[in-house]
Amino acid sequence: MVEKTLDSRTIPNEIIEVVIQSVINTFESILGEPPGYDEDSGPDGPLNGVIGNIAVFNPDSTLSLMLAMPRETALGLSEAFIGFEIPFESNDMGDLIGEVSNILAGEVAANIEKIGFRGQSSLPTATRGSDLTLFMPNKPPSKKLKFQGPHGNFWLNMALSESK
Amino acid sequence: MAKIKALIVDDSKIMRSAVKRALNQLMIADFEYVEAMNGEDALDQFDNTIEIIFLDWNMPKMTGVEFSKAIREKGDTSHIPIIMVTAEKSMGKVDIALNEGGANEYITKPFTADKMHKTIKRYFDEEGQLVTQKETEEKKSFFSNILKS
Repeated sequence: MVEKTLDSRTIPNEIIEVVIQSVINTFESILGEPPGYDEDSGPDGPLNGVIGNIAVFNPDSTLSLMLAMPRETALGLSEAFIGFEIPFESNDMGDLIGEVSNILAGEVAANIEKIGFRGQSSLPTATRGSDLTLFMPNKPPSKKLKFQGPHGNFWLNMALSESK
Repeated sequence: MAKIKALIVDDSKIMRSAVKRALNQLMIADFEYVEAMNGEDALDQFDNTIEIIFLDWNMPKMTGVEFSKAIREKGDTSHIPIIMVTAEKSMGKVDIALNEGGANEYITKPFTADKMHKTIKRYFDEEGQLVTQKETEEKKSFFSNILKS
């Protein structure tokens, strides 16, 4: 079980494993096949795509999840999720990635509860653009996870911080 | 076939469309849709013509469970099936929605038309009428006949 007072320097491996499995479960239920997890998350670089942001939180800790999708991956995901490709520039694309983030957070919240972290999901937001770079000013412990789906790669960045 | 007036409540337009698409695929009834973006909006849209509700949980302004509680507290709404369609999956959340919120069913996202069918088919008869509505009307008619006689 996860220690009640989390070490402020690292994300416990149990949490990382739960999040990896939650991403696999979520995308398998949407795409019909599980995405592969790549231990080598690759170099950091700007993203041309869309990022879904959501958090699972309780009064002590906040687990932030940032789902980073390159443009092509997002377009393929839209076709799998709603049956047709939606324009990348449309508001519907932000809606879609926000909803996928919401579904992922629901899965994470349900699974993380089993290891002692009981939390609830925030509302999702989404950011679309080119040259997007993720950075965390307060430098909380974070982890970047890379996945390979049928429509291309995508990343999940996670950060664990004290709730304010 | 008489139209069934369904209230779809979700802050995601994509998800409202997904619910409508799944219901249209099922062909268990002819639906007419009213859409709301959150619980507060749904309360404004709700009236006594609404026959079934499909309800997200996590929404701004008023959550699905808060809306569901408010609807049940209005009284004379127990015949309206409330189907939660949500990303919340923990057993605690299911329990809250069904027991405290007064929802009848719980579907987790993402869902398929088949999953939707399995969950809601018991609320419809072969003619595409809501069973609960029909029962309510039959009871009303029964008591009305007794009063008349």
